[in-house]
Amino acid sequence: MNSMIYKKKTPLIIFLAPAFLFMTLFLYYPFVMNVYNSFSNITGLGTAAKGMNTPWYLNFTKLFQDPIMKTAMINTLLLMLMTIIFQVGIALLLALLIDNIKKGTQFFRTVYFFPIVISATALGLLFNLIFLYDGGMVNQLLLKFGVTDMIDWKDEAHYLFTMMLPVMWQYVGFYFVIIVTGLNNISPDIYEAAEIDGASGFKRVRYITWPLLHNVLCTCLTLAITGALKVFDLPWIMMGAGMPMDKSWLTGTYMYNQTFTMGDVDYGSTIAIVIVVTGVVISQIANRIFKEKDY
Amino acid sequence: MKRVIALVLAMTLCGAMFAGCQSTPAASTASKASEASQSAAASEPAKPAEITVVTSYGGDDGNRANYEKAYKAYETATGNTVKDASGTSNEEWKSKIMADFETGAEPDVLFYFNGVDANKLVQGGKVVSLDEIRKVYPDYASNMRDDLMVASPADNKVYSVPVNGYWEGLYVNKKVLKASGVEVPGANYTWDQFLKDCETIKAKGYTPIACSLQEVPHYWFEFTVFNHDTVVTHTKLPAASSDATGKEWAAGLNDIKTLYSKGYFPKNTTTATDAETFQLMADDKAAFAIDGSWKIGWFQQNAKSIDDFTVTYVPGANQRKATDIIGGLSMGYYITKKAWDDPAKQKACVDFVKAMTTDEVVSTFGATAVTALKNGTTAPSDADSLVKAALAMTKGATGIAPAAQDGLNQTARTALFADIKNVATGKTTAEKAIDACLAIKG
Repeated sequence: MNSMIYKKKTPLIIFLAPAFLFMTLFLYYPFVMNVYNSFSNITGLGTAAKGMNTPWYLNFTKLFQDPIMKTAMINTLLLMLMTIIFQVGIALLLALLIDNIKKGTQFFRTVYFFPIVISATALGLLFNLIFLYDGGMVNQLLLKFGVTDMIDWKDEAHYLFTMMLPVMWQYVGFYFVIIVTGLNNISPDIYEAAEIDGASGFKRVRYITWPLLHNVLCTCLTLAITGALKVFDLPWIMMGAGMPMDKSWLTGTYMYNQTFTMGDVDYGSTIAIVIVVTGVVISQIANRIFKEKDY
Repeated sequence: MKRVIALVLAMTLCGAMFAGCQSTPAASTASKASEASQSAAASEPAKPAEITVVTSYGGDDGNRANYEKAYKAYETATGNTVKDASGTSNEEWKSKIMADFETGAEPDVLFYFNGVDANKLVQGGKVVSLDEIRKVYPDYASNMRDDLMVASPADNKVYSVPVNGYWEGLYVNKKVLKASGVEVPGANYTWDQFLKDCETIKAKGYTPIACSLQEVPHYWFEFTVFNHDTVVTHTKLPAASSDATGKEWAAGLNDIKTLYSKGYFPKNTTTATDAETFQLMADDKAAFAIDGSWKIGWFQQNAKSIDDFTVTYVPGANQRKATDIIGGLSMGYYITKKAWDDPAKQKACVDFVKAMTTDEVVSTFGATAVTALKNGTTAPSDADSLVKAALAMTKGATGIAPAAQDGLNQTARTALFADIKNVATGKTTAEKAIDACLAIKG
C-alpha cells in the first residue's frame, strides 16, 4: 500500500501544493518585494513608493555609513556568541547534572522549561521591575546590603548584561530539554560497561556522553545561532529605542524602529535583507563547522 | 474516490488561504452607498450598528474613565456597539494609525491630531470634512464655535470636532518644595529663579526635574524654545539651524543641556521611561515636571494626596512671560470616509461624535479655558485642588501658542526627540540635531 503512494506522485503534489503556494505567497513573494522596496523611496507602511531612490543603491551605502547599524550588527553578533556560550553551555551543564540524579528529574525539567511558556512581553516587564533604578528588586537588595549608590542597570556600563541576561535565561530550558532527550537516548549499558572498566565520572562524559551527544549539540548550536539573529521582543520591551544612548540596538529592533516608528520603510527593508543574508551565511558556516557525524 | 477527496481537501485548503484576501467591493459601491445613505440617513431610524473607534484615551490616560462612561452612555442610548481600540498617544501609536489607514484597516471614528500629523489622511481623502457632514446632518458640531475648530493645514478645511483643549504646565510637588524651603512658583516666575530653586532642591537631596530625556523630552523642548521666541512666532519652523528660528531652537536645546549638566534631571534620565520619572513625583522624590492637561488624571490616581500637588506656569525668560502658555485644540473626532460611505454605519458615527462632544461630556474631560464650546465648559462642582489650580492657570494666561513640534512631520519629530539626549550629553550639537531633523522630508 505504502509503495503505491510513492509510485504515484500526483497525490503528493496535490497535498504539497497548498503549503508551497502558502510559502510562495507569504514568504518568497514578500521577500522579493522586500528586495525591490529596498531600492525604492517609501515613507510609510502601505504607502506607494515615490519612485526609486537616487542612486538606486542609496540605502545600501547608508547602511555602511550608519553608526547605529554598526552598533546593531556588533550587538547581534555578540548576542549570538553569548547564546552559544551561555544558553547552550548552561543547558548542557544542567542536563548533565540532571542525568546523574535519580529522583526529581521531571521536576527540574519543568522548572527549567517554564520560562519558555511565559510570553516575552511578560518577561520583559518582569525583568524591568527587577532592574528598575528606583525601587527595583536588585537595587533594593543592594541597599539592604549597605550599598549606598544605586546602580542604573541600563546605563552604558551595564546595559549588555541587563539586556542579555533575560534572553539567555528564557531559552536555557529549550536547549536543556533537547539535550536531556539526547542523553536519554544513550544506552545505560554503555555507561555500565565503562563503570566496570573503571571509567570515572569525567571520563564517562568525555568519552561516552560527549561523542554520542555531538549531533544533538550541533542541532542546538544551529538553532541558537539562527535564533539569536531573530531576537526582538525581550530587548524591545526592556531597552526600547536603543537605550542607553543608542547602544543597545539589535538588527531586529533597529529594523522595527526604522520601519514602524520612523516610517523609513525602504531602509527598514534594507536592514531586513541584511538580517536574512547574515542568517543564511552564518547558519551555513555553522552547519559546516558543526557537521553531524555518524557513530 | 480517494483522489477526489484529496483534490477537494487541497482545493479547500487553497481556498481557505485566499479567504482573508477577499476585498470588499467598497470602491465600486462606495458612491452608490453614499448617495443612498445620504438621502435616507437623517430621517430613517437606523438599525443598531457596531462601530470601531480609535482614540488616545487608552492605557493610563487620565480621561480613560470619562471616555468609557461617555461611550457606554452612547451605547445605551442608541443601541449601537462601540468596538474600542484606543491606545496611548505616542509616536508608535501614530505610526500604527497611519499604517491602518494605508492598509485599509482604518477605524470608523478616530480621535486624532488635527495638524500636520493628519495631512496624509486629508490628502488621501480618508476622512470626511465638516462641510460634507453638515450637508446631511446640519446640526453636526453645532455646539462648537466654527472659528475655533482647527482647519487642516493640508487644505484649510475643518475635519475634526474637538473635545477639550489642552494646555501644558509645570506640575509641582509642594511637599518637596516645602522640605527644600522653596516657594511654589507663581505668575512672575523667571528662568533664573527656577535655576536657583533647582540648585536648592538638589542640595536637599531631591531630584529637581522629573523628566525622561530618553523617552519624553517633548515638553521641555517646547518651553525652552518658547523662552527664546514669542507667542506669535512660536509655531514658526526653522529652515536651518543658522536662521533666526533655528538659533532660537538651538538656544532652547542648549538650555536643556545646561539643566542636564547641572544634574537637575533624574540620574537615569537617559535610560528611564516617562512612567519611571513621573513615579518620582508621586513618591515625593522630585519637585517639578512639565506635562499636559491630560496628566491631571494620572496625579489624581497616583498621588497619595492630591493637595500635595499643584500646576502652575513654566518659568519664563526673555520676551516670554511665564503666563504665556502652550495650548490649543490639537485633537478632534474624525469620521472616516470608509464609515461615511457605509449606510449601516454613517448615522451611528455621526451620533457617536455628537454624543462625545456635548457640553456636558466635554466638561467632564477636564474643564479648561481652552475650549471650542460656544457655552464654555462647566467646572465640576467637586473639583479638587489640582483641577482648580489648572483652571486658575489657564484663566490667568496672557497668551496661548500651539506646540511648535506639531509643525514637524512624524519622522522628523521622532528624530529630533531621539537626538535631545545626545545634545544634552554632548554627543552631538543642537545645530546638528536641528539640521538632521529638518533634512527629513515627510
